[in-house]
Amino acid sequence: MPSFNITPVEKGIMRCRHTGAFSHEEVQALASFLNEYRGRLLIDLRDAAVDECERHIRNFRPMMPTAAIYGAALDPAILDIPEMWYAHDVRLFETEREALAWLREQ
Amino acid sequence: MSQTTTRTTEAMNTFVEETGGWIASQLEACTRCGICASACHFYQATGNPDFAPVWKVELLRRAYEQRFTVAGRLLTAMGIRKRITDDDLLAWSKVVYEACTVCNKCAMVCPMGIQLGPLIHDVRAGLAAAGMVPEDLMAAVNKQLEEGSPLGVTDDVFAERIDWVGDEWDVDIPLDREGAETLVVFSSIEIMKFPENIADIAKILNAAGESWTLSTEGREVVNFGFYEGSAEHTALFVNRVLDAAKALGVKRVMVTECGHAYDALRWTAPNLVDMPKDLEITHIVAVLDELVKAGRIALKTGAADGDGGVTFHDACKIQRRGGHIEEPRRLLKILAPESFREMTPNREAAICCGGGGGVIAIKAADPQRYAAFGLKLDQIRETEAGTVVMACSNCRLQFLDGVQHFGSDVKVRGLSEMVAAALDGAPPADDPTG
Repeated sequence: MPSFNITPVEKGIMRCRHTGAFSHEEVQALASFLNEYRGRLLIDLRDAAVDECERHIRNFRPMMPTAAIYGAALDPAILDIPEMWYAHDVRLFETEREALAWLREQ
Repeated sequence: MSQTTTRTTEAMNTFVEETGGWIASQLEACTRCGICASACHFYQATGNPDFAPVWKVELLRRAYEQRFTVAGRLLTAMGIRKRITDDDLLAWSKVVYEACTVCNKCAMVCPMGIQLGPLIHDVRAGLAAAGMVPEDLMAAVNKQLEEGSPLGVTDDVFAERIDWVGDEWDVDIPLDREGAETLVVFSSIEIMKFPENIADIAKILNAAGESWTLSTEGREVVNFGFYEGSAEHTALFVNRVLDAAKALGVKRVMVTECGHAYDALRWTAPNLVDMPKDLEITHIVAVLDELVKAGRIALKTGAADGDGGVTFHDACKIQRRGGHIEEPRRLLKILAPESFREMTPNREAAICCGGGGGVIAIKAADPQRYAAFGLKLDQIRETEAGTVVMACSNCRLQFLDGVQHFGSDVKVRGLSEMVAAALDGAPPADDPTG
């Protein structure tokens, strides 16, 4: 079973759902996706282990498009990188509804 | 603030300090014909006459005339010619930082052979001394001064990132290895935004059996002092890399996919600091070509022919300034022999992507930055290529942002990434350092 899947939510928004532990190949595939994807991202971490998520999200954070994360109690500090020209806004939410509502406004 | 203040004095003093025979000869040679405007992507894209290169150096010319020519001194003393004011500094700050990438294509068309790019850099130097650098750009300079990186690549971030890349991409990344032959220096954009570049370059160098290392101390080569136009800051940032090279005892420093940093380290540094004797400064594009020519790595022929046609973006500082024009083409003729096609214009005549020279870091420059990129995108569309490749991560960032802005589906790739993906049965690695 893959560790994540990506499905459309609506025009301009894709859902990235974490479903299990990442293999090396999947980390590389996700990096490629983040490089090429030009829309907004709804990140669903309901089925994810928090410690694994935190390591990868911290490292993927500078590569992320505008994204709303929900479904896991992450330390907000992992999203804290300098707000400069290369970085998009990424925020944590408690529910999918809140996350999607914010994403639609971006 | 239309008055002469200490800001103006600082700028004038810097202009005067810089002005020697070379600048005088360049300014005196200019006939103000305006042909340079036809080469400027910002002028072409917007039609704004303030963006013409001849106008960008006008501030330096005024300073030169007011201090060094009899007519200029007389006219200024008589009040016929206005003295430079803070308003002038602000106006030129917007022009030389927000509508110039110092790409120096204007010099290619100047019938008098005037090097407009370096002159515009000198205008930036005066403005930097006067504290008239745009806020966004200065924030990046200050971050590099305080933390060692404009994008927050502190010691801890660097260590974690290298560990993550090495682990997840399953590649050995030597760090602080004394006695290695080559010190590899990445830009902060690669470290933060394109970490797969680190893995790709590591794979290539390991496959070739290259003796190489990264350095914690000289961990990134990006140089916002160079963008700013401050000789002091430029020297400080190049010295971080050079000190690391000396400490590790390497024979060469290889700049990865970064253009302006290559310019700063290779050509500007020798005029600012004491370069270590016999230290070679090279670029990844040259190294990739050398490795293939020497048979140290082999590439799958046609590996990129399935990418819907490939075209190459010539980066100002690597191709036009650096002269590395044929190396990427030799590589692309292996990678995409059937589908590689040139943009027009190309090679040293190519136009800039619009994001160099620090422009991409300045929010207020976005309108002209996108407008200039629109010209580039038109040139890509004319090739009907599905993929555009380049060897500069700053250009790559501009392309990624630009294609998104214009809703294009062109794929944007780095040259090292393409080479790494095409590695084919390279000779066994023979690491001289063991």
